Amino acid sequence: MPATSTLDYRKIRQEKIIKTLVNKDLSIQFEDHLENEMILNMGPQHPATHGVLRLLLKLDGESVMQCVPELGYLHRGYEKLAENCSYHEFIPHTDRLDYLSPLMNNTAYVLAVEKLLGIDVPRRTKFIRTIISELARISSHCLFVGSMGMDIGAVTVFLWTFREREKLYDIFENLTGARFTTSYTRIGGLSQDLNPEVLQMMKDFVEQFPEKLNDCEKLLNSNRIFVERTDGVGAISPEDAISIGMTGPNLRATGIEHDMRRVEPYLLYNEFDFDIPTFTGGDCLARYYVRINEMKQSIKILQQALEKIPEGPIHAFEPKKVLPRKERVYTKMEELIQDFMLINYGTEPPVGEIYHAIEGSKGELGFYIQSKGEGQPWRMKIRSPSFCNLQSLPKLVQNSMISDVVAIIGSIDPIMGEADK
Amino acid sequence: MNKFLEKSEIKRLKDLTFWQKLFIPEIFKALKITVKQIFKPSFTIQYPEVKFQKPESFRGSPILVEENGVERCVACGLCSRVCPALAIDVQAAETTLEKERYPEKFEINMLRCIFCGFCEEVCPEEAIIMSSDYELSFTNYNDAIYGKEKLLVPIEKVKERLEFLRKNR
Repeated sequence: MPATSTLDYRKIRQEKIIKTLVNKDLSIQFEDHLENEMILNMGPQHPATHGVLRLLLKLDGESVMQCVPELGYLHRGYEKLAENCSYHEFIPHTDRLDYLSPLMNNTAYVLAVEKLLGIDVPRRTKFIRTIISELARISSHCLFVGSMGMDIGAVTVFLWTFREREKLYDIFENLTGARFTTSYTRIGGLSQDLNPEVLQMMKDFVEQFPEKLNDCEKLLNSNRIFVERTDGVGAISPEDAISIGMTGPNLRATGIEHDMRRVEPYLLYNEFDFDIPTFTGGDCLARYYVRINEMKQSIKILQQALEKIPEGPIHAFEPKKVLPRKERVYTKMEELIQDFMLINYGTEPPVGEIYHAIEGSKGELGFYIQSKGEGQPWRMKIRSPSFCNLQSLPKLVQNSMISDVVAIIGSIDPIMGEADK
Repeated sequence: MNKFLEKSEIKRLKDLTFWQKLFIPEIFKALKITVKQIFKPSFTIQYPEVKFQKPESFRGSPILVEENGVERCVACGLCSRVCPALAIDVQAAETTLEKERYPEKFEINMLRCIFCGFCEEVCPEEAIIMSSDYELSFTNYNDAIYGKEKLLVPIEKVKERLEFLRKNR
């Protein structure tokens, strides 16, 4: 019997497939051609889905009947990774959650760990953390305005907001040493102090930013194409928004004044004077207005913070919890031992669990840490705002046109790095 | 009641004036704003030809400091312990010099390194620091694993960074 090669097998299989297909009745009967539903696969490589978000849309003509978002394409298992990292080692991982405002994630994470350890940081550190959080918020909202404009067809604004972000990245680079993956905050302090030159850069930025933002607004606010594509599109009621768990600007666009900076003041937010922009409607246009006004409020906070920033140390004096200063490590024995102990075994927090949330640029960004008194967290849960906001997508896109889906995704501003963790 | 909610002034479709709805005059208004930008100085730089100004806090790829012909490193292994990306591999050996230990093998996998600067921060000997080098390219995997011969840099060349660290850390 002759040996059968792989090619022959393939040929036989192909013939079998054709045979089964031909034997079956393949003709489909349509009664009305317009009454058919179509399944459209949008993403995960679609440019308008802001990353790797996959949507399965059930279409009736051009209107969306149903939408199933599929998440998890960027899942890197950060919650599990955290269980095998010491508290210090996990700081660079937080950069990669919401990669548009890494400084804010750094701040949120160390605030949670400091709450667990019971460290009180100096006042100057609190000031710097407040400043970088607000700068990160501006950076993130700038990208929102630009990318949402571009999704709808206004490309100029995209370039202008990216120019502003470039200035911010220059500040971050001077401050932290890296443009994107900043890893700036440390448990009980910061990696390095804020120089007077960087402070001046921040002041210059704050001074010129409102004018540039005004230019962007002039192009969008009374632009008929922009208004027509966002007004009333993707509206959600306040009740639905709460039950889904939306937070941040998306929730405030429905008229609910909920901001972690007011509800549970952290850092120095109760010392500054600012408003919480709230609009009614809950549609794409309201979400756009909330973010534009939030940037203006951030500038207001920054102006106050940059004026009042005090001099002083930036590290908490907690030798058993905070990494020692370098010049003392080089010369003193105790600090050297402390350096080795903290890195090899990690800071040892009390047994217990804490949750700390901050108002991130996308919403409530919380870290829930369960500790068993070891150097690593026993369990860490990251409450990422993008993930919760994305749950509203099926509700938002229902009965809207397929071209509105792009505007709606742009307006809820999901960051897949954060949603998939 | 919220201040913002009371005077919330979203410009919806019904609020647009007749001229704004007509769109043609609006195009010219917008063109006026955009054309103004032409006369402003350009913001971009021509990257490969023009290099950007690196700030002194810039974190580039990690290097080892070489002092008096030998490395400062005493192979304590703290950098490889703290490295979040597990990029550093150190193997210690004994030496007759005053410091008694030296790294027999010191390898950094540049494909894994995330330039976070933690190794620099924890080093008790000021032996590993971040250079200002950021343009790394390799043609195969083995080239990306930097051994001691590629990592060692004489102390004279990294004076600026060492001074910055002493001032700021």
